[in-house]
Amino acid sequence: MLFNSFPFLFVFLPAVAVAYFVVPQHRLRLLLVIAASYYFYAYADWWFPALMAGSTAISYTTGRLLETETDERRRKLGLATGIAGVLALLAYFKYTAFAGGYALDFVHVLTRESFPDARTFFHGIVLPIGISFYTFEGISYMVDVYRGTLRAERDLLRYAFFISFFPHLIAGPIVRYGILQPQLTQKHRFDADRIRSGLMLFALGLAKKVLIADGIAHWVDHYLATPGQLGLVNAWACAVGFGFQIYFDFSGYSDMALGLARIFGIELPWNFDRPYRSASPTEFWRRWHVTLSTWLRDYLYIPLGGNRKGQRRQDLNLLATMGLGGLWHGASLNFVAWGLYHGVLLAGTHHGRRRGLSLPRPIAVAVTFVLVVLGWVLFRMRSAHGIAQLYAGMFGLHGIGGLPGHLALYIAIAAAIVFGLPEEWRWPVGRWNVAYVAATAVLFAVAVSSVYTSHPFIYFRF
Amino acid sequence: MRRLILFIVVTGAVLGCFAAVTWWVDPLGEIWKPGALATAQRDDCLISQELIGNSYFSFKLAVFHDRPTRTFVVGSSRVLKIASHPHERSFANLGYPGTAPSTILQLIHALPASPRQTMYVGVEAFWFNRHYRVPDTNPSDYHLAEYLISRSAFWNAFTFARQVSYVRYPDRWRRTMVGDRCTIGRTYPSINWALDGSRVWSWELDPTRFQRIYPTPYRGNLNAWRNGYYADWTTIDQARVTQLEHALALARARGWRVVGFAPPEPVTIQHILDTDPRIAPQWRAFLRLMPQVFGRYHDPWIGLGVRCPPSAFPDLFHSDAACSMRLRSRLDEAARRGS
Repeated sequence: MLFNSFPFLFVFLPAVAVAYFVVPQHRLRLLLVIAASYYFYAYADWWFPALMAGSTAISYTTGRLLETETDERRRKLGLATGIAGVLALLAYFKYTAFAGGYALDFVHVLTRESFPDARTFFHGIVLPIGISFYTFEGISYMVDVYRGTLRAERDLLRYAFFISFFPHLIAGPIVRYGILQPQLTQKHRFDADRIRSGLMLFALGLAKKVLIADGIAHWVDHYLATPGQLGLVNAWACAVGFGFQIYFDFSGYSDMALGLARIFGIELPWNFDRPYRSASPTEFWRRWHVTLSTWLRDYLYIPLGGNRKGQRRQDLNLLATMGLGGLWHGASLNFVAWGLYHGVLLAGTHHGRRRGLSLPRPIAVAVTFVLVVLGWVLFRMRSAHGIAQLYAGMFGLHGIGGLPGHLALYIAIAAAIVFGLPEEWRWPVGRWNVAYVAATAVLFAVAVSSVYTSHPFIYFRF
Repeated sequence: MRRLILFIVVTGAVLGCFAAVTWWVDPLGEIWKPGALATAQRDDCLISQELIGNSYFSFKLAVFHDRPTRTFVVGSSRVLKIASHPHERSFANLGYPGTAPSTILQLIHALPASPRQTMYVGVEAFWFNRHYRVPDTNPSDYHLAEYLISRSAFWNAFTFARQVSYVRYPDRWRRTMVGDRCTIGRTYPSINWALDGSRVWSWELDPTRFQRIYPTPYRGNLNAWRNGYYADWTTIDQARVTQLEHALALARARGWRVVGFAPPEPVTIQHILDTDPRIAPQWRAFLRLMPQVFGRYHDPWIGLGVRCPPSAFPDLFHSDAACSMRLRSRLDEAARRGS
C-alpha cells in the first residue's frame, strides 16, 4: 500500500487513526498499530510480514541475549550471529540475483554455458520492500545493546512496534530504538493540535511528491528515454531535474512519514534539511538522508577506524563506507559507482580542507550542487551506455540542444522552494493561523486528487 | 480542535467540488446518466455513445427495466443490430462490447426472475480464448470514486465545460440531428443507441457527415486482426465454459426459454476460421462443444444461424440490420419450436 494511494488515504489511515484513539489501553493500541502495520506490509505481498517477523525475532532475541550474557567472547559471537542472521535475509533477497547474475556471466565467458535454469531462479527472487530499512534498524539496535548505550527491550510488543510501525516501514527514516523507546512507554492522549500538525506535514509531503516530484518525473523520464539525443542544455536540465525529482520524492515521503507518526503521537527523526544548500559534500551528507548517513557513520565508518588511523586509511574508510552505502541503495554497479563517487568527493573535501582551500559560500554551494548533480547521473541511468550518453550530452558532445520548457518551469519552481524556504518539517505548522490551515487543506485536496496518476516512490525499490 | 475540523472540512469541500464538476461533465464517460436515457425516451431520440461511455451494464439494465421486456438478446458487439420490430416494446437488446460468459451471468443475476423471459445468447468463439481480456464495463464504486476526485478527470471536465456551453448547468447534453433522427449527445455522436438497446452507426443515418466503418483486412497477424481476440488461442478455456453453464443453469432455474447462437460470419472469414491452423482446431471444438453445453440445459443451439452475403458485413465483423433481423426471425422461430 502506498501513502499516495486512495486505499491508504481514505480507508487505512482514517480507520487506524480512529481505532487508535478509541482503544483505551496503551498496550492494546500498540497491538493495534502492529497488526495494522503487518496488514499494511502484507498489502504488497502476503508473505512479506513473515520475513519482517523473522527479522524482528532475530534482533529481539539477540538483544535479550546480549544483555544477559557477561562473557565478552560470547557477546561478540551473539552479536555477530544476530547481525549475520538479519543480513542473510537482506543478502538473499537483495543481492543473490546481483551476485549470481555476475557469477553466471563470468562462467559463461569461460565455458559458453548459459545456465537458463539458474538465471530463471535468480530472476524469480522478489525484493521485499522496506527490507533494507528494517534490517538496518535491527542492526543498530543490536549494536547499541552490545555497546551498552541502550537497554535491551524486554517487551516484545514495543520492539515489534519499533520495527513494523508503518510510517517508517517502507522507506525510512531509519529509526534508532533509543529515539522511539521513551515514546512507547506512555499512552498518547488525543491532541487535536498535534493531529492537525501531523496531517498538515503529511499534506505538505504529499504535495511535494505528487505535485512536484511526479511532475518533474514525467518530463525527465520522457527525455531520458533517448539520452543520446540530448544536447548540452537539455542534458543538464534532465540531470538537474532528476536531482530535484529525487529530492522532492524522498523528502516528501519523509515528511509524510513524520506527519503520520505525529498523528499517533510519535516523533520520528528528520531526514532532510535542504541538502542542495550545502557548501561541501560533507555538509550535503549532513543534510541528505540523514538517518542513513549517520547510520553509516556510526555503524560502519567509525568501526572501520574513521579518521583515527591516518589520512590514507580515512580515505579508504570513506570509499568503503560510501561504496557500501551505494550498494545498500540497490544491487547494481551503478549504485556502487555512485557511492564511490561520493566517497571520492568526501575524501577530496577533507584533503582540500587540510590544505586550507575554501571558497565563498555561494560559489561553494554552486560547485557542490553541480558535483551532486553529476553524481545523480550514475544513480539515474542504469546502464553504462546510458550514463556515457548523458555525460556526453552534459559535456556538449551532442551539441547545444534546446531548453525543455515544461521541465525548466518545474525546475524553477523546485529551485525557488529549495533555496527560498526552509525544510517543511521546520515549518511551524502547529501554530499556523486559520488562513494557512485552509490554504494547506486546499493544497492537500489538490495533491489527493493527483494520486490517481502518481508514480511509486523512488526509494520504495531499495 | 476547530482548526483540525477546518482542515478536514476544507479538504473535503475542495474534493467535493472536484467530484461534482467531474460527475456533471463526465469527460471520460464513466458515469451512468439515467437522465440522458429519459430525455431520449421523452423526445423519441437515439442516445449517443458519448453519454454511455463505459457504463454499458447500467445502460442495458435501464433499457430492460424501461420496457415491458419479455425477449432479449445478450452477446458481444456483433449482436447489436438485432432490434425490435416496429412498435414492438417487449424486445430489448442487452448485448454490449466486452460481453463474456462472466458478464452474462452477472447480468442475469441483476435481472428479475419473473416474468418469464426468452433469452437469446450470442456466443463468441473467442470468449473461450484465455487471452481474451474481458473489459470492465461495470465500473466499481471504488473505481468511480477514484475517477470523481482525480485531478486529471477534473481538469478534462473543466476544460470541456469551458469550451462547450451545453454541458454547463442546467444542461449536461444536447439534442442534435443525425440524418433524419434526433440523438441526445454532445460533440460528435458517431455511435448511437436506440431505445431498445440496439446500435445505430451515424454513418448509416448520414453518410455525408459521418465516416463509414471499413474492414480491417486479414493479413495473417492474429494480434492485429479483430483486436487480437483470436491470438495465442490454444485451448478452450474451461473456466469460461463453466461460467456460461452457470448462466444457462440460472436461466433454466427461472424457467426462461433460451436459444443459443453464434453471430453470423461472412464467408471469407468463416473460411479463415475453418482453415487457419492457429484457429481452426479451437473453432471446430467450439462448434462441437456449444450444442452439447446448451443441450445439457435442454436449450436449442442454432449455430451460425443465418448465412448473409458479404455486403451484409460492412467491416467484415459486424452484420448489418437486414442480416441481423433475419437472424432474429430464426431465433424467434427456434424459441417457438423450443416451447
